[in-house]
Order: sequence, then C-alpha cells, then structure tokens
Amino acid sequence: MTATNAVSQERLLRALAEQLKLPLLHIARQAELAAMTGSTSVPNTTITQTASMALQLIDGYLLSTDLHAQQSLHLEPVSISSVLHDTAQRLQFLARQYNCEVEIHLAGKYEPVMGHRESLETAFTMLGYSFIESITEGKDRRLVLAAHRSGKGLVAGVFGNHPGLTADMYRRARALYGNSRQALPTVSPASGAGVFIADSLLAPSGSPLRVARHQKLNGLAATLFPSQQMQLV
Amino acid sequence: MPKVLLIEPDVVLAKTYKAALEHAGHDVVAARSAQGAVHACDDAAPDVVVLELQLVRHNGIEFLHEFRSYPEWQNIPIVLHTMTPPSSLHLSTDMTEQLGVADYLYKPSTSLQKLIRRINGVVTPA
Repeated sequence: MTATNAVSQERLLRALAEQLKLPLLHIARQAELAAMTGSTSVPNTTITQTASMALQLIDGYLLSTDLHAQQSLHLEPVSISSVLHDTAQRLQFLARQYNCEVEIHLAGKYEPVMGHRESLETAFTMLGYSFIESITEGKDRRLVLAAHRSGKGLVAGVFGNHPGLTADMYRRARALYGNSRQALPTVSPASGAGVFIADSLLAPSGSPLRVARHQKLNGLAATLFPSQQMQLV
Repeated sequence: MPKVLLIEPDVVLAKTYKAALEHAGHDVVAARSAQGAVHACDDAAPDVVVLELQLVRHNGIEFLHEFRSYPEWQNIPIVLHTMTPPSSLHLSTDMTEQLGVADYLYKPSTSLQKLIRRINGVVTPA
C-alpha cells in the first residue's frame, strides 16, 4: 500500500468510526425505550436491520482495504442490470422506514461491463443507505438506481433529491472526510462514510464516483466499460 | 403538557426520542430539517426546542441564528442534543446567552432518562 493510500485508508477508518456511532445509538436507545415503557415488543426487525447495516459498512471498509492492497485487480464481466436489481432488494427495508420508493431505471439491455461485482454491489448499497438516510421532508422521496450509455461507457449510479450535491461540493467533501464530522452535509447528517467507502471500492477498478444527473435528480455514478470478451462473441 | 419541538434528522432516533418524551408526558412535534422546524413553529410555538446541530443541508448554528431572528420565538429555550462533541463545539458564553441555548447534551452519552430530566429542568425551572 502506498503512503497516499495509507493516509486515505486512515481517513476512511475515522469516517467509518464516526458513522458507526449512529447505529450503535439506535440500538442503545431503542433498548432503553423498551425497558422504560415496559414494552414486551422490542422492535427486533429495526434493531436487526440497523446492526446489519453497520456490519455491511464495516465489511465495505474491509473490502476496500483488501482491494487497495492488491497489486492488480481481477475484473470480470458483470451484468449491471443484475447488480442494480440486487442492490434495490437490499435497500427495500430501509427505504420503507424512510417512506422512500426505490426505482430502477434501465433503458433497454446492456452488455456486461468489466468490473468487480462484489465491490460494485457493496458500493451502490452504501450509496443507497446514505442517500435514503438523508431524505427529509419533501415531495420527491425517490431513490433511483440507474444506468445509461455515454460516449465513454456505461454510467451507473444512485440518484435522489439532492440539489446541493455538486461536483465542487463532492470535491471538497473528498478532501475533508475523516477530518470533518460532517464532510457531505447535503447528503448526510453524519460523516457520510458510506459515500467515501463506496468511492474507495470503485477507484481500484478505474471507476471512481463522480457527481452525475439523471432525470433532474443528482447523484453519484461510476463509468464502467463494456466487456471486450462479450463484444467479440 | 409542555410542547417540545424535536429537530432530529435521523428517522430512527426521531421516533425513539419522540416516544420517550411522550411517555414522559410531553407533547412532541418532530421535524427532520430546518425548514420543517420553521413550519412546525409556525403552526404552534413550542415551549422548548431540542436541536441536533448536524442537520442535512443546514448548519445547526445557522439555524439557531435564523430561529432567533423571529421576534415571536426569541424567548423559547433551546436544548442542544447533538452528535457534535464538546471539544468541537465552540459556543462562547455570549453566544449561549445571545442564542438562548439553555443546555447542551452530547448524544452518545445522554440516555433517554437524562434527556427527559434535562428537558424537564428547562421547561419547569426551579
């Protein structure tokens, strides 16, 4: 791992540590509430899901450290449609809690892209969690997982009602994460570790996250490249 | 029944704190954003505001200044209940008095019982 990578991973770890306070607080206070009210029906599903999300965040961080430690990354043909559908499934529980609709926008069929499936799915899930948690009051309560072709490849990402999410804001946030308690205030009330872990997961395969737009929604997306192998078939 | 305006961006925590405060006998309105908080106050002024400083899209201190700019809300006490630790919070005494911050609570080390006790102390001073 280079010195630059080591510094980035340390910052990511600090952002992760800050972010993990939230799910632990959820669990502690819900347990206290149940004891206080004498409730026999502790909201087990909420606690279970909260713990599950925290564990996924930790696993996402660990996966990113593994990827950065590798000399070269083994990429394989991946169906982006399949990745987005699986991600949408994972996000359903949290979306219901936040009265948010998860939509998948795919214009037609896409050829497989060269990627690392696990990091793609984990990255989009992390982004989805962060975006859903930032939804406050408002009419547009959608989270959109979308892909579309561009001149450079296939752009795939996560989009929502975040008018303040600009390229400048995201650039500043990437410089601040790990050193700021709230590096991306337009997206997260906490450290936004999910966003930076997602970025860290995609960077080794040459597809870092960038601010993008999809049908008047702002979001973060990666540009993925078609599998040459599949194109020759 | 004292009316509490709870400004909390995290939906799970908002539900938990609301339930705990209602169990303790308070009437609670929850808002998840600065804009939502202003609308809630327009409907009915609270007796106390419980505020998380780390909001989405808004800085909590900026919201405090904006809140205090409304004459009808200048005397409503505010309890900061936040993820921002004391070491990072540079609230001078002047600011505290100027902005009407009645108490500060660091969320990770504030149990529900402590939160209720401190809010009760603000709405029913000795």
